[in-house]
Amino acid sequence: MAYTEPAFKHSLKINDYLCQGCTTCMRSCPTGAIRIRNGKAHVNDNKCVDCGECMKVCPHKAIYIKQDDFALIENYRYRVCLVPTTFIGQFEQKYKTKAIYACLKRIGFTHIYEVEHEVEYIVELYNKYIDQHPEINTFISPYCPAVIRLIQVRFPSLVDNIIKVRAPSELAALIMSNRLIDEGASPESIGIFYVTPCAAKIAAVKYPVSHKDTRIAGVINMDFLYNKVKLMLRDSDNDAEPVNHSLSTKDVLWPLPGGEASLFNGSHYAVDGLQNVLNFLERLEDEAVDAQGLVEMRICDQGCVGGVLAINNRFVARKRLEDRARLFDDPSRNTSRYTRYNNPEFCKWIDEQMEIPEIKPRSIYKLDDDFQEAFKMAERMKKIEKALPGVNCSACGAPSCAALAEDIVRGDANINSCIFLNRHSPDSEEIIRSIWGDHVKTRKTDNEKNNQ
Amino acid sequence: MHYTFDIERGNFADAGQASSSVKRTLKQLGVAPANIRRAVVALFEAEINAVAHAYGGTIDVDIDGSKIVMVVADQGPGIPDLDAAMQEGWSTASAKVREMGYGAGMGLPNIKKNTDDLKIDTKVGVGTTVTMTIYLA
Repeated sequence: MAYTEPAFKHSLKINDYLCQGCTTCMRSCPTGAIRIRNGKAHVNDNKCVDCGECMKVCPHKAIYIKQDDFALIENYRYRVCLVPTTFIGQFEQKYKTKAIYACLKRIGFTHIYEVEHEVEYIVELYNKYIDQHPEINTFISPYCPAVIRLIQVRFPSLVDNIIKVRAPSELAALIMSNRLIDEGASPESIGIFYVTPCAAKIAAVKYPVSHKDTRIAGVINMDFLYNKVKLMLRDSDNDAEPVNHSLSTKDVLWPLPGGEASLFNGSHYAVDGLQNVLNFLERLEDEAVDAQGLVEMRICDQGCVGGVLAINNRFVARKRLEDRARLFDDPSRNTSRYTRYNNPEFCKWIDEQMEIPEIKPRSIYKLDDDFQEAFKMAERMKKIEKALPGVNCSACGAPSCAALAEDIVRGDANINSCIFLNRHSPDSEEIIRSIWGDHVKTRKTDNEKNNQ
Repeated sequence: MHYTFDIERGNFADAGQASSSVKRTLKQLGVAPANIRRAVVALFEAEINAVAHAYGGTIDVDIDGSKIVMVVADQGPGIPDLDAAMQEGWSTASAKVREMGYGAGMGLPNIKKNTDDLKIDTKVGVGTTVTMTIYLA
C-alpha cells in the first residue's frame, strides 16, 4: 500500500444503524472514497475531501456531521458567536437581523460577530499574495476548504495555484479576540464559536491545512443553531438591541457565488457546484483554459447557502440573503475598521498568522511510489478492467468496474467480488455476504432458516 | 500500455478525451506533474489540429517504463509548408475555426515546446502523422 498514514481527518460520520449500504453515496463521491463492506458504507480518510455530497444524497439520513458539545460555551466568560451571513439568509425577511441576534444572545452568547467583517482585508491579503507571485497566472481562491482538499488529491499539479491565505473565519476570530483583549478580557476567558454551513469548514478548523493554531474554541452546526433560534423568534420582536453593523452589502453577499470576485479588482472567475468545479480544474490542469487572475471556487451549488448544513433551499436562501443585503450599506453605519489595522506591526503579525506555509499534493491516483512497480500495477489494472463487465453495478461494493480493478491491484479487493464473473462459483454466497452483510438474502441464509 | 482513440472531424466539444485518459494513467504511475502537463498539452494540441483541419483520424498512445509515445494520424489536406507551420502565428485555420478561439497558429510550435522528440510526416492531399515522444524518467 502506498499510503498508510491518514493524511486527513474528518467530521463526516456514518451511522451504521441507519446505513442500508444502498450505494447512493458511493456513486456520488467525487474522489471515490466510499466502499461498501459488510453492508455498510466505509469512508477512506485519505480520499475524502469533506465536500458533503454523500450527506446531501443519502436517502436514509445515515451520514451526519459531528459537532462540539454546545455546553462548551459555558466554560467561557466571553462567548462569541462567529456567524457567517449565510445564517441570516436562512430566515424570512420579516424577522429583523437584530431579532435573530437577540435570540443568539438569549441562547447564551455574549457577542455576535459576522465572519464577513474581515473579508475586505482577506481580499487585500489575496492581492498581496498575487503581487508577490508574478510567475503564477491563475490564482485559485483558498476560501472553500473542500476545494483545497480536492486539488490536493485529484489535481496535485495545481496546488501551487492556490492562494496561501487562511479562511476569513480565522481572521475574524483573531480580530475579535484582540478586540476583547483590548477591552480588558483575559485570553482564557474568550470562547469563539464558529457556526458552519458545511462539513469542510469544520474539518478546516479542526485539522487545518496550515497546521497552525486556531482562535476558534468550537464549531456549531448551522442547522442545530437555526432550530434553536427559530423556536424563539417572534416577528414582533422590535425591542431587540440594535445591531452595530459595519458590514457593506458586498460583505454580506460574500458567501454567494461571485462574493469574493465582486470585492476583487482584477480579472476574475466564479465557479460553483461540484461538477463545475471538477470540469474547471480539469481544464486548468490541461491548460485548455487560460484563466488569468482570481478563480473563486465553491464546491456547493450556489456557494455557501448550498452547504449541507444550511437549512433552506439554496435558491430561497440566496434570494433572502440578497434581499437582506440591500438593507446593509446604511449611511449611518460605522464603517471604521478595527483600529489596530492602522498599525503596521499589527498588520505584519496578522499577515504571518494568516499565511498557509505549504499545501502538499496528496495524489489519490498514484499506485506506487516506485515507477516500475506502478507501471506493472497499471498494466494489470487495465487487463482486469477489460475482464470486468463494465456495467458499473456497484454490487462488488466499489463504485465502478474501474474502481474495483484499482482496488484489486492495490490488494483491497478480490476479482471474485464481481458477481457477474463469479455467479457460478461455489464461494459466491460467502463473497456476496462479505460485501453486503446479512441483510442480503442468499440461498444459504434461506436454508439456515428452513432448518431451524 | 497501449491506448487507441478515434478523432472525429469538427467535433471540438469531444476533443480532449484522449488526453484525459492519458493524464489519468500518468497520474497512476506517479509521473512528475510537469511531464504530465507536457504530455497532455502536446496531445491536446495535436488532437485539436486534426479535429480542425483533417477529415478524421486516430490517436495511438504507448507508455513503457521510460517514455510515452503519442501518434496522431489523420486523413486530411496535409501541411504544404511545414517550416512555415512550425512558426508561431502561422495558420491556415478557417475563419469559422478562428471564431471558436482556435487557429492562433500556436499548435505545432506548442507541441514542439512540450515534447522531447517530434516527428511530422505529411503529404499534401493524403494526411499528416505527428509522432510525439516524452521521456518520463
